[in-house]
Amino acid sequence: MFRTTALRMHSLVKGALNVSKPSITATRFMSSHSTETDEQFDARYENFFNRKDIDGWEIRQGINDLCGHDLVPEPKIIIAALKACRRANDYALAIRIIEAVKDKCGGKVNEIYPYIIQEIRPTLTELGIDTPEELGYDKPELALESVYDIH
Amino acid sequence: MAGRLLSMRALAPRVTLGSAAMSDMKAIIGNREVVGFGYNGQPNYADRSDFPLPAIRWKENTPDVLALREKEKGDWRKLSLEEKKALYRASFRQTFAEFKAPTGEWKSVIGCGLMLISVALWGFYGMKTFVYGPLPHTFEEEYRKAQLRRIIDLQINPIQGISSKWDYEKDEWKK
Repeated sequence: MFRTTALRMHSLVKGALNVSKPSITATRFMSSHSTETDEQFDARYENFFNRKDIDGWEIRQGINDLCGHDLVPEPKIIIAALKACRRANDYALAIRIIEAVKDKCGGKVNEIYPYIIQEIRPTLTELGIDTPEELGYDKPELALESVYDIH
Repeated sequence: MAGRLLSMRALAPRVTLGSAAMSDMKAIIGNREVVGFGYNGQPNYADRSDFPLPAIRWKENTPDVLALREKEKGDWRKLSLEEKKALYRASFRQTFAEFKAPTGEWKSVIGCGLMLISVALWGFYGMKTFVYGPLPHTFEEEYRKAQLRRIIDLQINPIQGISSKWDYEKDEWKK
């Protein structure tokens, strides 16, 4: 539903994954069009985040990878990622993931983001995660110097 | 000091680092926990919307941060709002709203552009006043009138141009 033609831009990041860790990429021939369907894509990421033994490193790897694609993640992927954050005991990571998903909505944020929040609301209440709006992080809180101005 | 860290990221090598280089970076980041791959595999921090999760936490692991981490292992509903915000700020420097906030730089760009344009316009005026010589005498009013009369007499551009606007019977401009 949120998918446009997915161009695999981050093969470099995937290539840097250690071989010993279970890879999120299946056997992949790097052509510009993949033969994976939307459901396979969703299932792959959901299964990745649903692994019982996932740790913070892998969650960050997966989210950075997911944000490289030209799509807004399906709510079920986000739910799996939030549950993974709970297993990894990292609250800030969960908030950051929701913020990143909101950013991925691009110009259509007012249509897509409320839908996503509505879909993941049961998980948010179950795990006790606040949305960035509830924390007051939808508006800037601190005014820090831009890194490009620090010399 | 952290700021210099961040500006160094543009100079960091893109090859796979050996353990010696990694330990150099680890010495720079101090007590910060390395939590991920980041955007290039090095233990640095950057707020980027295309790589939302940096490789290291933002703040060092001080005792109060560690106490919060212990509390984080329990039920998240028991965390107060301040603690949740403190946990976020311990891992991240700025929220998405903050690092994507508009800077208003465009105003200074337009302002400086207009100031430089005005300097150029003063330059043009100075050139005209002090540098350029006088116009030829043929630019005076009587000469130009005589040239226009000659153009009409020669019927220059009679179809759609200047002579088409002249009424040759009445010897005046067409109404």
